[in-house]
Amino acid sequence: MKKDKAVVLVVEDNTIIRMGAVDLVLAAGYEALEACDADEAIRILEARSDIDLVFTDVQMPGTMDGIKLSHYIRNRWPPVKLIVASGAAILEESSLPSGSRFFPKPYDEHAITDAMARLLASETPAGTAG
Amino acid sequence: MPQTSTIHYEAASTLAVVVSSNEPLLLLSEDQKVVAASASFCRAFDIDPSTVTGRGLGEIGDGEWDMPRLASLLRATASGSARIEAYEIDLLRPSRKTRNLVVNARTLDDGDIDRIRLLLAVTDVTDARAETRLKDDLIRDKAILLQEVQHRVANSLQIIASVLMQSARRVQSDEARGHLHNAHHRVMSIAALQRQLSTSSGGRVELRAYFTQLCQSLGASMISDPDRLSIAVQVDDSVVEPDFSVSLGLIVTELVINALKHAFPDDRMGTIVIGYRSSGDDWTLSITDDGIGMPAGTDAPKAGLGTGIVEALARNLQGEIRLSDAGPGTAVTISHRQGAGLPTDVSKAA
Repeated sequence: MKKDKAVVLVVEDNTIIRMGAVDLVLAAGYEALEACDADEAIRILEARSDIDLVFTDVQMPGTMDGIKLSHYIRNRWPPVKLIVASGAAILEESSLPSGSRFFPKPYDEHAITDAMARLLASETPAGTAG
Repeated sequence: MPQTSTIHYEAASTLAVVVSSNEPLLLLSEDQKVVAASASFCRAFDIDPSTVTGRGLGEIGDGEWDMPRLASLLRATASGSARIEAYEIDLLRPSRKTRNLVVNARTLDDGDIDRIRLLLAVTDVTDARAETRLKDDLIRDKAILLQEVQHRVANSLQIIASVLMQSARRVQSDEARGHLHNAHHRVMSIAALQRQLSTSSGGRVELRAYFTQLCQSLGASMISDPDRLSIAVQVDDSVVEPDFSVSLGLIVTELVINALKHAFPDDRMGTIVIGYRSSGDDWTLSITDDGIGMPAGTDAPKAGLGTGIVEALARNLQGEIRLSDAGPGTAVTISHRQGAGLPTDVSKAA
């Protein structure tokens, strides 16, 4: 069963940046969920089975950073698409799960929405979810 | 061979050289008895000089020199089968701090092949090692701190960019939205430089890489159809100071925004070329488009903030702005010639 809107989970500890990211997701026509760290993100992913994409920061307080979180998500919920953004030095996409995208901060919003659209349009390796 | 007799064979000059050595030094017999110890050795390792001569190496001081590894290395050296070069060993003394030593030993070649003498030089590198460690720690701390600062700067710029874009999505007026977008582009221009600096060494900026990143960022946010409009970067191998690159980057940002907004109306196709070349202290920056060209007379748009920024920065860089018809399109060239138009040029004033 296809839903009308893709669901994007924003994981970011900075309130203003999270607001901006949620706003950007909504403006792109998706449904937005938000978490301020990896633990909250995992709780949301466990509670909802309709999340299509996770857009996460790297440096966050809590048990996992965004890179660990992205690997955790890929292992537990393989179909979920991943976009990672960080203000830390240029990160190799190779340190992320295959198929995920990395953007340095400050990211260009068009580049992010463009990446979201492409990832959401692509087939998932583990079959289509939802 | 009785020990006492061996000691009396030494030439007085040999003993004097050993005793006065600045580097802690021991002259040993083949059976590792001390023939002479330098004053520096006794001082460095807190041993009474009067108690040293004639005693076994393992017996001097409080027996702390009784080190099986060292003794076996000295035996090997005496037999000629090995040489101790920069061998590292720890001197352990009860209730005192362990010292890190570097020892060198060799047989003394004095022409007498029946009577073997060992020269053992001992350097205390504890303080030097501690200093090196401290320096390494400082360098590592500095790198971590720098990374942290860069991360914070990137995050701060992200906050500003996020706020500007949220405002831009909310305002009703197209003009206000345009201004907010321009402010966003200016922030992204500074961010591109910041990113360039964080990956460069020595704080200098490679202009080609910086302009390429800058134009990618501007293109990503302003060009909806990359098949219609593109930005090309034709920059030489110039590497410049960060301050200079900030000004150049902002000029490029303003002129590219301007060209994208005005040069290609009605879905016109086109290219904007960023050019930069330098020779010695002279440099030329150009932004050329193949659009509709600048309207003249009453159609000319009122100079906005962008024009003001470009003029002020160009003046600050002692560059001369020239606007020309690129046929088709417009070329804006900012060039700096060493000595031209500088206050030091007194020939015209005279």
